Amino acid sequence: MGFLQVSGVVKSFGGLRALQDVSFSVARGEIRAIIGPNGAGKSTLFNVMTGLFPPNSGEVVFDGERISGVPPHRIIRKGIGRSFQITNIFPRMTVFENVQVALFSHHGKSRNAFGLARRYPTIAAEALAILGQVGLAEKHEISASILSHGDQKRLEIAISLASRPRLLMLDEPTAGMSRFESRETVELLRKISREQGLTLVFTEHDMDIVFGISEKIVVLQQGSVIADGAPAEIKANPQVRKAYLGEEIQE
Amino acid sequence: MAPSIDLSFLTVQVLSALRQAAFLFLISSGLTLIFGVLNILNFAHGALYMLGAYFIYALTLHLTGPAGFLIALLAAPLGVAVIAVAIEAGLLRRIYKQEEIYQLLLTYSLVLIIDDLAKIVFGPEYKSIPKPDAISGAVTIFGGTVPVYTLVVLVLAPMMALVLWYLLYKTRTGKIVRATSSDREMADALGINMSALFTLVFAFGAMLAGFAGALAGPARTVFPGVGTEVIIESFVVVVIGGLGNLWGALIGSILIGTLETVGIIVFPEFEMSLIYLLMVAILVVRPWGLFGRPLKVKALSDKNLSMEAQEISPVHYSIHPLIRLIPLVLLLIVPLVAGRFYQFLLTQILIASLVAVAFNLLLGTTGLLSFGQMAFYGVGAYTVGLLAMKAGFGTLPALLLSPVFAALAAGVIGFFCVRLSGVHFAMLTLAFGQLVYTIAFKWYGFTGGDNGMQGIPIRPLPGGIDIGSTKAMYYFALAVVGISIECLRRIRSSAFGSTLKAIRENNQRAAYLGVNVKLYQWTAFVIAGAFTGLAGGLYAIMEKAITPDIIHWTKSGEPVFMTIIGGIYTFAGPVVGAAVFVVLNSYLVAWTENWALVLGIILLVMVLMLPGGVVGFINEKARGALSKRGWVRKWVFSK
Repeated sequence: MGFLQVSGVVKSFGGLRALQDVSFSVARGEIRAIIGPNGAGKSTLFNVMTGLFPPNSGEVVFDGERISGVPPHRIIRKGIGRSFQITNIFPRMTVFENVQVALFSHHGKSRNAFGLARRYPTIAAEALAILGQVGLAEKHEISASILSHGDQKRLEIAISLASRPRLLMLDEPTAGMSRFESRETVELLRKISREQGLTLVFTEHDMDIVFGISEKIVVLQQGSVIADGAPAEIKANPQVRKAYLGEEIQE
Repeated sequence: MAPSIDLSFLTVQVLSALRQAAFLFLISSGLTLIFGVLNILNFAHGALYMLGAYFIYALTLHLTGPAGFLIALLAAPLGVAVIAVAIEAGLLRRIYKQEEIYQLLLTYSLVLIIDDLAKIVFGPEYKSIPKPDAISGAVTIFGGTVPVYTLVVLVLAPMMALVLWYLLYKTRTGKIVRATSSDREMADALGINMSALFTLVFAFGAMLAGFAGALAGPARTVFPGVGTEVIIESFVVVVIGGLGNLWGALIGSILIGTLETVGIIVFPEFEMSLIYLLMVAILVVRPWGLFGRPLKVKALSDKNLSMEAQEISPVHYSIHPLIRLIPLVLLLIVPLVAGRFYQFLLTQILIASLVAVAFNLLLGTTGLLSFGQMAFYGVGAYTVGLLAMKAGFGTLPALLLSPVFAALAAGVIGFFCVRLSGVHFAMLTLAFGQLVYTIAFKWYGFTGGDNGMQGIPIRPLPGGIDIGSTKAMYYFALAVVGISIECLRRIRSSAFGSTLKAIRENNQRAAYLGVNVKLYQWTAFVIAGAFTGLAGGLYAIMEKAITPDIIHWTKSGEPVFMTIIGGIYTFAGPVVGAAVFVVLNSYLVAWTENWALVLGIILLVMVLMLPGGVVGFINEKARGALSKRGWVRKWVFSK
């Protein structure tokens, strides 16, 4: 059994089967991509895996604990961080506050209604350290809403890191970024994964990124897994080539 | 009642229930249509109904006979539609990009304005609208006497419903309206001319309200403020049916029409409470109403992030503690030199400040607009009144229990309300507030009903401190309010407060931080309710009397007004707003009868021009300039 085990997950909306018996496993510390053409069910799978909605059948087990059907605020407590396809930050709070509030939650301080927020020096130091990791330490005083798109994505990663996840799930981490910003973000993710032994699961459209960073890839098509393996195997897989009509994976 | 219900009685009641349902449907179908397409909860819908009734009143003064009546019946709604076009194109359109509460507030300001304008034009008295002889008699059906006009309503209202159905389901424009209602972004992406569609739908919805008014006017009466009663009933109808859903509005109207008719016979005292109880029962099972769907999880789009029109930036730094002491020192000194009038005025301001600051913990900090906040004020006030008058409690113990009972009420009401969000939340708090109001208003044996309570005894505090004099009351209020506001300030600046702000900014992301969003919203609701209740308790001590008016939903608009005037994202804003409100109230009432009109205009201007409030504006402009100079920053602001 893997660190993260998805077994026989089925999810349908009305009559439509979005996921059909999806199974795969992810090892600890692995960088894993989930790819597939539009409408293959990547986002649905992500939402099932992070508790946004429960599967119709099957289960997701993380580090020996069943997490499917568990609501988001509990899943996070188990050590899973998530970032979103659309930038998902707290826009009208400062960059610093964005991470600080995540740390309050992680350290169980969110309920403290009488200690002033600024009287937590260790949390403040930790927030600045995390912002340093993603390269936003110098911008910590400004409002998050005026950051550039790339910086907002980094901030989102910083927020996710604040809950000290063992598994980080990233839904299209480079969506909407320039080529330069994408490359920087990928480097950042690789560095963080290496330094902290963090397991990364991500979806991505950009095949350069997928093949450049991931150690294993699972391919979805019409809600089913059609391939699961190392990048080289995936490139060679005829079914995958067919699914993508040979466009992007050709060398 | 006899075991076999007699047929004539049944006929009369069924027809009367249907007539009531017909009026309700006409009003709420327009309300729900506007919400479906424009995503705006139109508080002014009741005022538009009232205009429809006044227009037919004015027209029938000149047009007589059946033909004249018919012309008036058709012309009045058209007149309302014309006014609606002006409102939509001239005012609403300017703030579509703002957060939804601003649209709601704009329509609320229109309620104040239209009601008072109607009073100026048509006078404050009740008007009855003459019907032509042909339809003013009564007929006998199955032995029961039924007004002919009821039958007219029961023919005309379904005809209008059929026209509505035809327009929506059989015409191209109607299909576009329905498509937009179910998926606004999709319709936008398809290149539909949204601004023309919005004007059309708003005018059409208003016309339905105007038609309802014109049709109901001759059966009921019309007076300024009739709209504030009508709007609540139709809110209940659409909440029960599901916001934005026409079939829901139909079923809801029939349910409420029936319940009101049955209620008057079976529980004459609590007829109005019954409809709120039905609403609660339905929402327990289906939080989004019978036919409603949860709103889509609102992802933050780029539009929301860039916020061209709406960047009302929350302030990130606070004033130096020593500077904060200045107002406190002033408040301690002023009554020594000011007379009793000013002491009383300041006491009022203190109490209003506590309400506004507590309320803003919900609105500004957590992002929840409660339109039933004064229910907790009422619970607090009645706690003091009842304990002091019926149980012989001392003033201080009674006052200390007022936040406890208010918190209990907020705990129960909040449990239902925080399951919803945005406009749904606002409507549900409003309806719960009205439920509390109807109970206080009708329960003569306990609350004194609409007479309220007079002569609440004020007993000395422990240690023999007498607070009977105006000056002593002022200092007592200053102590209670001062401590409470400091508590609220600490809560807002705490880790808990930061978490509430995170929920306001993005509740989905907050959930993914491990925050139980509903639990935090509920907690904020209870805290705000408790402090509002404490303010209500102080009010009862200050006035030595209570009337149920303090709970009415129009009063719940007051903290909203104060907060918006002062500045929603500032801590001091609501206090400034409360002071402005109380002073305006005291002086305007002496100067003009139409002070609601003045308030409405101020609110309208604030929403359009200065959505960040006075304090927010000062923060933006003056502070930016001031804090460039290092020493000012160092001494005035603390990080």
